Amino acid sequence: MKLFVNRLQVMTVKELVQLTRDIILIIATIYLFTFDIYVAGSETGLSLNNAALRIYDGDHSALSRELISRFRQPYFRFDGEILNNKEAIPLLDKGKAMVILDIPLNFQKDLVSGRQADVQMLVDSSNSILGFLASSYGGQIVADFSQEIAMRNMGLKQMPVIKDECRVWYNPNQKMEWFMPLSELLTVITLLAMMLPAAAMVREKERGTIEQLLVSPLSPFQIMFPKILAMTFVILIGTVVSVFLVLEPFFHFPIRGSFILFLIITALYVFTSSGIGIFISIIAKNLSQVVMLTILIMLPILFLSGSTTPPEAMPGWLRVAVNFSPLYYYIEASYSIFLKGVGLNVLWFKILSMTAIGLGVFGIGMWRFRKQFG
Amino acid sequence: MAEMAIEVSHLVKRYKKHTAVDKISLNVNKGEIFGLIGPDGAGKSTVMKAVAGILKFDEGIIRVFDVNIDSERNAEKIKSRLGFMPQGLGLNLYPELSVEENINFFAHLRSVPKDRLSKWKRQLLDMTRLTPFRTRRMKNLSGGMKQKLGLVCTLIHEPELLILDEPTTGVDPVSRRDFWEILMHLLREKNVTALISTAYLDEAIRFNHLVLMFQGKMLAQGEPDEILKMVHGSSLELVATPHSIATDILSQVFQTEATGNRIRLFVEGKGFEEAKHTIEKILRENRIEIKDIYAREPELEDVFIALLKKEHPDSDSSPHPSFTHSPSIAPSFAHPPSVAIEAKKITKYFGKFCAVDNASFSVQKGKIFGLLGPNGAGKTTLIKMLCGIIPPTGGNATVAGVDIHHIKDVKERIGYMSQIFSLYLDLTVKENIKLYAGIYGLDKKETRMRLDWIIDMAGLEGHEEDLAGQLPMGIRQRLALGCALVHKPEVLFLDEPTSAVDPVGRRTFWDILLHLSRKERVTILVTTHYMMDAEHCDHLALMYAGKIIADGSPEKLKADVTIKAGTLLEISTNRLLFSLEVLEDTGFKGPALYGNKIHLLTHTPDEDIERIKSLFSEKKIEVKSISKYPLSMEDVFVYDITALEQEESYAV
Repeated sequence: MKLFVNRLQVMTVKELVQLTRDIILIIATIYLFTFDIYVAGSETGLSLNNAALRIYDGDHSALSRELISRFRQPYFRFDGEILNNKEAIPLLDKGKAMVILDIPLNFQKDLVSGRQADVQMLVDSSNSILGFLASSYGGQIVADFSQEIAMRNMGLKQMPVIKDECRVWYNPNQKMEWFMPLSELLTVITLLAMMLPAAAMVREKERGTIEQLLVSPLSPFQIMFPKILAMTFVILIGTVVSVFLVLEPFFHFPIRGSFILFLIITALYVFTSSGIGIFISIIAKNLSQVVMLTILIMLPILFLSGSTTPPEAMPGWLRVAVNFSPLYYYIEASYSIFLKGVGLNVLWFKILSMTAIGLGVFGIGMWRFRKQFG
Repeated sequence: MAEMAIEVSHLVKRYKKHTAVDKISLNVNKGEIFGLIGPDGAGKSTVMKAVAGILKFDEGIIRVFDVNIDSERNAEKIKSRLGFMPQGLGLNLYPELSVEENINFFAHLRSVPKDRLSKWKRQLLDMTRLTPFRTRRMKNLSGGMKQKLGLVCTLIHEPELLILDEPTTGVDPVSRRDFWEILMHLLREKNVTALISTAYLDEAIRFNHLVLMFQGKMLAQGEPDEILKMVHGSSLELVATPHSIATDILSQVFQTEATGNRIRLFVEGKGFEEAKHTIEKILRENRIEIKDIYAREPELEDVFIALLKKEHPDSDSSPHPSFTHSPSIAPSFAHPPSVAIEAKKITKYFGKFCAVDNASFSVQKGKIFGLLGPNGAGKTTLIKMLCGIIPPTGGNATVAGVDIHHIKDVKERIGYMSQIFSLYLDLTVKENIKLYAGIYGLDKKETRMRLDWIIDMAGLEGHEEDLAGQLPMGIRQRLALGCALVHKPEVLFLDEPTSAVDPVGRRTFWDILLHLSRKERVTILVTTHYMMDAEHCDHLALMYAGKIIADGSPEKLKADVTIKAGTLLEISTNRLLFSLEVLEDTGFKGPALYGNKIHLLTHTPDEDIERIKSLFSEKKIEVKSISKYPLSMEDVFVYDITALEQEESYAV
């Protein structure tokens, strides 16, 4: 037993020492846990920001100008008027305008005399999310404006409309910078959990040191396990650094639940995900194959995690598949801890599911590894 | 005066602070085979790449066919006239393509006209005997065949200048011999010039002209015979008892190499009689009996080492002399069996392919057992089975008295060193040793003791904190050996341990192995296709296509060949290739080129000497020398394997 522990210890220390000698790997790991997370939090790609707006104002009236002035920053940026209808489409084609608002002649006259007036909005929806946001925000602005005009015209102070009082929980300002960087961190953790042990193993294959280990009394488990231990340790340190040096100071990210619980779940997750890393190391012959395989496996895992597409929006069979994605449970549990501040009493089932799936993968990976090297 | 193909003067190339090539100058005449000889890291590849115009250099002038290689544009001018084959077995080839596809690819790359291509291709394939394998994928070829294909691809555009970087490294002796013969024919027929590098000193005699290099500097330049005469001295071989004490004493005074029960010596500055007298005196003083002492042909290796010691008196990082007095590593098992390894009809199939076929042999405790065979003969598979890395399909074996199916017990009793010195290059010397000490479960005190012992044994003082990757190959090899010995194994397995090491390092390494086997009673099983290594072994087994085809001491194997095929004649003439043809046409069996001489086996040596003499005088060939010559292990190897190959081709 003492010998067993001792062997694990020397092998784990060896992995850590080797890691410190690999400058490129160190830089890549530091980058992924700091700058990468920061960039992910800083980009607000999925919200409408400074959408280029061009106007064709055929009316040039007080009311038309008032409507135009309602299209404001931060959502829209007024990029000037166009004088000719025909300019509109080329501007959209070239990507120089995202929204074109077309106000026809007699806009004011129609409204003042109590008739219906039309405006036309052309929206570049090649990015479907941004297009959707621009058209709905624009529609909202026009609707609010037309309601005001109607009230003014009719001399009313109030109208029988329903005002909805929306209460946003957990992320009251719906900040993307609370959602994106954590999502990115969890992705980075997943990536490294698979890649680092696989890379460490394949490096031994490439250099032939694996043979030296195989002729020693080490069991396959004693060869693979220390790599996972060492890499889990590295990833946990990276996670702590990322949360306290990037998420908290730069994005004022809330830690409402127990950070320790999060770390424990992370350790569990990394550990079990490394099973996939073992698979990769069995198949791959060199480092570039490790990277290729990691990407290949990463893509479906990310898709099934529900971080980009909510499972409810997936077709039936994919929704079932999501239940087998450990990353799905891990993301759910992590957001719950940080933003909702809930604990084990709520999360136990998710954690249990994640662990069960992970152990399954780990077990199969280890079994295959023994078969190859036993 | 002959025209120059290559002129290099004062070439200097630095990599950061390290000077790889330091003021090398050489001139290669057209039609000449010019050799660059030296161990790894001597700067051979750098010179070749610079001449081929694919590497920028810092100082000096290189002219190839009168074009000054000082710019990329000028380098382009001569590229169509030269063929360059980089180092590494078939590294310039595409493993997924077939033999023919590879050749066609290179031909198209060089835009060789179709009609010329098909004719030349057929000729080359025939000459290299690759014709039956046209459709085989390159990755499925043997090492020797890969190298021949590499040569074909380099030759396909009929270059005037061939630059071959270590073409024979890692190739078995039979293929090596083939390779040289093909090359010589081609060079003579097409009158091309060749610049060839090698780490094998015994290949030096095949060059017209050569440069000995070491650590970027030139040690000597000239024709092989001239270089041999550069260091005045005499080479001797002797048999003395007790062997190991005699070796110890003599090695402190002279260049020595112990092989089997013989000691080879090079005594500088003395003629044979004088040297013999000195040695006899020294040994008599130490009460050592000399059984036999005689002169032998001086070899380039002796000269190389002598020159090296003159130029770099500190370069020899050989083990500390006190090593011999370090604590014994006698095995900790009380009653070790006298048979250390016993294999009984051990067999391994990979799918339908039989890698090892009913191999049986036994190795006595404390002996050095050599496993010889070309690439793909099954040596590595056999070792891996004995080490418990892969299970045998059939048969059984015991190692250190333990059945190999008890993998764990076997592993604790053996040490293993693979051909690539499996060290962690990013760990320091100390970290490497401590890692293995930890794996084998040594406690702190033992670890410290073994650490000191290994550093002492391997001559690693001053390198303790260096990364293993920064060590020169020779030292790296001894560190790997140390790591394999950390737990005092009873049996040591070495898989081609000397392939990448220079002669000085190789000698040091064998000194250590001899010490281990003679004094520490460690049993050593070593695979090699380096024939000099074979001479060191107590017992040899020849492997071919998974089978053990001959088995015995080096002396016995040589004697067997003598009984079967006769005595070896060595013939030296002024028209070598023509002489060879004449001999073949007259019905002599299997004359072969051996350097700049011809080797021939015959049962009637004395009659044949006369016959050949008269035959050659008829054909107006001047005989420089013709005499009986002792068989080398290489002769034995080549004889046994070609005999088998012939049997097989008759069977088909």
